[in-house]
Amino acid sequence: MPLRKDATVGSNIRQAVLVCQSTGCISSKSPLIKAALEEEVAALRLAESVQIKPTGCQGLCEHGPNVTIEPEGILYTHVKVEDVLEIVRSHLRDGRPVERLFYRDAATGERIPYYRDIPFYRKQERLILRHCGHINPEEIDDYLAVGGYQALRKALFEMMPQQVVEDVKRSGLRGRGGAGFPTGRKWQYCRDAPGAPKYVICNGDEGDPGAYMDRTILEANPHSVLEGMIIGAYAIGASEGYFYVRDEYPLAVERVRRAIAQAKERGFLGEDILGSGFDFQVAIVRGAGAFVCGEETALLASIEGQLGEPRPRPPFPATSGLWGKPTVINNVKTWASVPPIITHGADWYARMGTERSKGTVVFSLVGKVNNTGLVEVPLGITLREMIYGIGGGIPNGKAFKAVQTGGPSGGCIPASMLDLPIDYETLTKAGSIMGSGGMVVMDEDACMVDVARYFISFTMDESCGKCIPCREGIQEMHKILTDITAGRGKEGDLERLEELAYVVKDGSLCALGGTAPNPVLTTIRYFRDEYEAHIKYKRCPAVVCRGIVSSACQHVCPLDQDVPAYIGLIARGQFDEAMDVIRQKNPLPGVLGRICHHPCEAECPLGEGGQPIAIQALKRFVADYELRKGIKPIPPPEKVYAEKVAIIGSGPAGLTAAYFLAQRGYDVTIFEALPVAGGMLAVGLPEYRLPKDILNLEIEAIKRLGVTIKTNTPVGQDITLKDLRDQGYEAIFIAIGAHKGLKMGIPDEDVAGVLDAMSFLRDVNWGRQVELGNKVAVIGGGNVAIDAARVAKRLGCEVQVIYRRTRAEMPAFKEEIEGAIEEGVDIRFLAAPVRVLSSDARLKGIECTRMELGEFDETGRRRPIPIKGSEFTVDLDTLIYAIRQEPDLSFLLGDGIEVSAQNTIIVDPETFATNVEGIFAGGDTVSGPATVVEAMAAGKTAAESIHRYLRGESLQREHKVTRPAVYVEPVELSAEEVDQILELGRPAMPSLPVVKRRDNFKEVHLGFTAEMAVREAKRCVRCDLESLEEARE
Amino acid sequence: MVTLTINDQEIQIQEGLTILQAAREMGLEIPTLCYHEALAPYGACRLCLVEMEKPRPGLVTSCSYPAEEGLVVRTDTDWVKRVRKVVLELLLARCPSSKVIRDLAQSLGVEETRFTRAGAEEELCFLCGLCVRVCREVIGRNAISFIHRGPDRRVETPFQVASEDCIGCGACAAVCPTGAIEIEDVGDTRYLRTWHTTLKLIKCEVCERYFAPQEMELLKERVLVDEEMWKVCPDCRRKLAGQRLVAASRFF
Repeated sequence: MPLRKDATVGSNIRQAVLVCQSTGCISSKSPLIKAALEEEVAALRLAESVQIKPTGCQGLCEHGPNVTIEPEGILYTHVKVEDVLEIVRSHLRDGRPVERLFYRDAATGERIPYYRDIPFYRKQERLILRHCGHINPEEIDDYLAVGGYQALRKALFEMMPQQVVEDVKRSGLRGRGGAGFPTGRKWQYCRDAPGAPKYVICNGDEGDPGAYMDRTILEANPHSVLEGMIIGAYAIGASEGYFYVRDEYPLAVERVRRAIAQAKERGFLGEDILGSGFDFQVAIVRGAGAFVCGEETALLASIEGQLGEPRPRPPFPATSGLWGKPTVINNVKTWASVPPIITHGADWYARMGTERSKGTVVFSLVGKVNNTGLVEVPLGITLREMIYGIGGGIPNGKAFKAVQTGGPSGGCIPASMLDLPIDYETLTKAGSIMGSGGMVVMDEDACMVDVARYFISFTMDESCGKCIPCREGIQEMHKILTDITAGRGKEGDLERLEELAYVVKDGSLCALGGTAPNPVLTTIRYFRDEYEAHIKYKRCPAVVCRGIVSSACQHVCPLDQDVPAYIGLIARGQFDEAMDVIRQKNPLPGVLGRICHHPCEAECPLGEGGQPIAIQALKRFVADYELRKGIKPIPPPEKVYAEKVAIIGSGPAGLTAAYFLAQRGYDVTIFEALPVAGGMLAVGLPEYRLPKDILNLEIEAIKRLGVTIKTNTPVGQDITLKDLRDQGYEAIFIAIGAHKGLKMGIPDEDVAGVLDAMSFLRDVNWGRQVELGNKVAVIGGGNVAIDAARVAKRLGCEVQVIYRRTRAEMPAFKEEIEGAIEEGVDIRFLAAPVRVLSSDARLKGIECTRMELGEFDETGRRRPIPIKGSEFTVDLDTLIYAIRQEPDLSFLLGDGIEVSAQNTIIVDPETFATNVEGIFAGGDTVSGPATVVEAMAAGKTAAESIHRYLRGESLQREHKVTRPAVYVEPVELSAEEVDQILELGRPAMPSLPVVKRRDNFKEVHLGFTAEMAVREAKRCVRCDLESLEEARE
Repeated sequence: MVTLTINDQEIQIQEGLTILQAAREMGLEIPTLCYHEALAPYGACRLCLVEMEKPRPGLVTSCSYPAEEGLVVRTDTDWVKRVRKVVLELLLARCPSSKVIRDLAQSLGVEETRFTRAGAEEELCFLCGLCVRVCREVIGRNAISFIHRGPDRRVETPFQVASEDCIGCGACAAVCPTGAIEIEDVGDTRYLRTWHTTLKLIKCEVCERYFAPQEMELLKERVLVDEEMWKVCPDCRRKLAGQRLVAASRFF
């Protein structure tokens, strides 16, 4: 980059400090940084050799304020006024750049000093954004020094106007305002049209929320646009021009004004420009706050002083525009693209891009992406390269969900289309638009229905209201979307919404209406299941819509536990009432309070600060409180029915179904194949996580409802399903879980010493003798693997866990992983078994390969790839595998029940009914290995279905929005109490010290004290109270 | 002259006339609501949409699209009907009390609406803009215009108070398709209620009945009526004109 030769300062300038003064950096105090730099440089007498230069946007907006030191090309990020001293002294004076201010790559942690090495820049082709951030936009000499106005000279003195039009035509340049109309063709129409005077207009009404490309160019390099306009005016024969800039861009207006004044001074504007005989002058018109005035005919009306509303086309502005005269209107970026085309030629430009979409495009990459900022790339780059390559992927390890291109009327494109090469045609085909270049990235926490509603509310507000489809149609669409997100969606809404969307799109007068339905149409196309969840099931999968979700915890709880209600009661010290609330929906609180995977805590909004409410621990506290007193007897059912129900399997699904059916008044018998009741809870979960006496107390409470549990009674051998029918059981619920361990699928795994984790855990739980060596390895990363490892450790072995990905991706509960490591279990990450090594059919060891993380996939995780040649051996005498489990359906011979390819029972997902009359199924038997609470939820729903079936009622379920059963008055807290609660934060779970855990199976987690529980309950912010207002109405 | 093809029938008309005008010449009916022969095409109601095949496939408003050589359109395709139906349903939802809209919808096969009503039950205005346009283009007074935008758009006087420019001619009410504009003469006053405006009427020189606001004289430049007629009511004007004709014929 050539440094400016300034005669007044002399040619001693050795360094330039470029301080970004774009709107973004200014809002982060960059003018103060510039002033401090000037002051310090002067104080150290460096002003003769160091120049401080204000520039426009330098591009890496997420990491501003930005300061660049030339000629080295070092970029400093996140600069603060306090850093100025060090920059001047260490770098400018002493030649030692300040490393801590270098750009830091979020993915690798690497610090990169030179901006040309930063991937964000390296992958860009900054043509329209040329010189932005490198020159002082308020000095025309800076523009001239980098070759400014050379293209104008060439056009005026070496080319005829028609030649200029030809060049632009041949370049393939298409309008960058959004519609992508071939620019050269537009110029030709205008040139050929009769009428005078002719006009050129720059459309600087950039209205898309989140878009700031045009603003940046006008602020950082206004002459690039002006030069393009003068060339265009020359080409079509226009003598007057207008910059239409939105009023919300005061800095851009100021910089353009200054550029115009300076250009005039130097003879680039006015009469007889540079002695060519060509006259052209330009004025600025400010917008008045209407998005619709970005539409060209509305913009014309606005300049004419009329109401800003579009006009029917034809006639097109090129033939009949401003005051009825031929007018070329082009976007800021289109004008800025012209001078390089003239300078380097049409063929040069046409070499970039795709076949029908030539050149480069500027995107504003914003939203859930690591490197937000302005990105200029040749057309044809894929969405994946944009978002991951340049954008650096999604922050906080979240999964990518959708990207909206083109502004508020752009379509939302899902993960499956990340490899789409971006150009005008491909985006249209995907249901989106190029628009002005907005690119909003959304992660897994976005509700796509809410997104559609949000953007429709924007276009509804900005619609000029002239034509019926847009004005009335969008309003109606907004109403339907609002109803859906409020939980009032009904059958037929989606059809009406789609119908309206198509008609608004096809029937509107201008592109505002013509594109407004795109977010709705694309989200329905790619995320229809989310709409159905909202409408039919009253669920918001992303847990966003407050009309449906009174509190995230209750909404995601498969048992719909009234979490804020029982937490509210605990805060008030009303533990018995809290227990009543819990037991309404949950027969095993002591169990779940210990081993549930607590999806509630994952969604608690306090989790954003790293301290979600310890909901599980609170539930356990109340459960233990009651267990110590003795579980309150549950009153007998109001009605008693004659029908008998058989349940196969006494695991969580079976026990829960029994609990609810018994309360309904049915005679329930559970048939259990094993000698003990409880299923996985009894035989899978280790004692140190779930003491069996806790489980048994809760099972006894269920039996006291009149439920009979017949252990040692496998169905399929001594008794068949037919036998059960014959014995008078009118409904049967199959809930046998998924206990069969699937093998690893590696050579030689069938030798002695290789065990399946499920059998191992079961045998230990029963006190059976287990053949265990000394050196044990466990393959897997889920809870079963960690359980097996911690059990083996307690049995005195040396234990390591081998897992193919990293700790961050391990599916086991974090507390369990931590517990394992504390207890001395070794976890080897990024390793996978290749084959078993044996001799005499006995395990000797395994051969493993190291893995490395490759590219991101759509779930946001990086794929593990084996590293060639990295094989290593581990000596072992015991290998326990915990890969995956499936149900053992061998007992269902010939009963006609439909089974899936994964060996699970197929049921109606709403009713849990199988294809055989009177037979229902639920839990892991249906879903494959899942969680305890989901199995219990299935049991609860199946119980309801069975009840209706037996009563001859419709099995159709009614779905409701999430609301707590009761609104508990929150405790009044004094300011001191609040401070104390916040300071202490989430209590740590008291745990048995590691030394006390060796060689025994004592419970590791000891539970909260009453003081801890009440304090933590008071920390809950009671999200449910927001819906109380509405409940009162 | 140019040749277009409408519904597979060729027609030759003057270049610059619109598809709608060509269709009417053929005796073909295309529904309109915001179109008026005396006013420039506006393109707001979208009822006149037709499906164009050449020069470019798509839906275009026949009221505004200029005839060009080789143009091919169809006025009653499924696409056109689908859009028309929804537009009428939206109108029915907006103005449930309007008989005019109900009758129009019925004549085009739309009996009821699937959509809801946001505004008042008695709403008659659907913002076709005819009143605004006649006041601007024909009368030249620009007394009323649209304010706000989107869902809030309505026709109003500046600052929604009595208009200083309105001459009380009633052209707005005359072109309003649904009768949404209320103008009533009571004694010597004309109440243009919708425009918050009252104007005093002058008496007819002949019959002495109150008939028009003085301000209407401002139309002198636009309407060719003999000077003396400005002070005479329409009934008396007709009588006088008739008398003149009779008187004139006697001299022949």
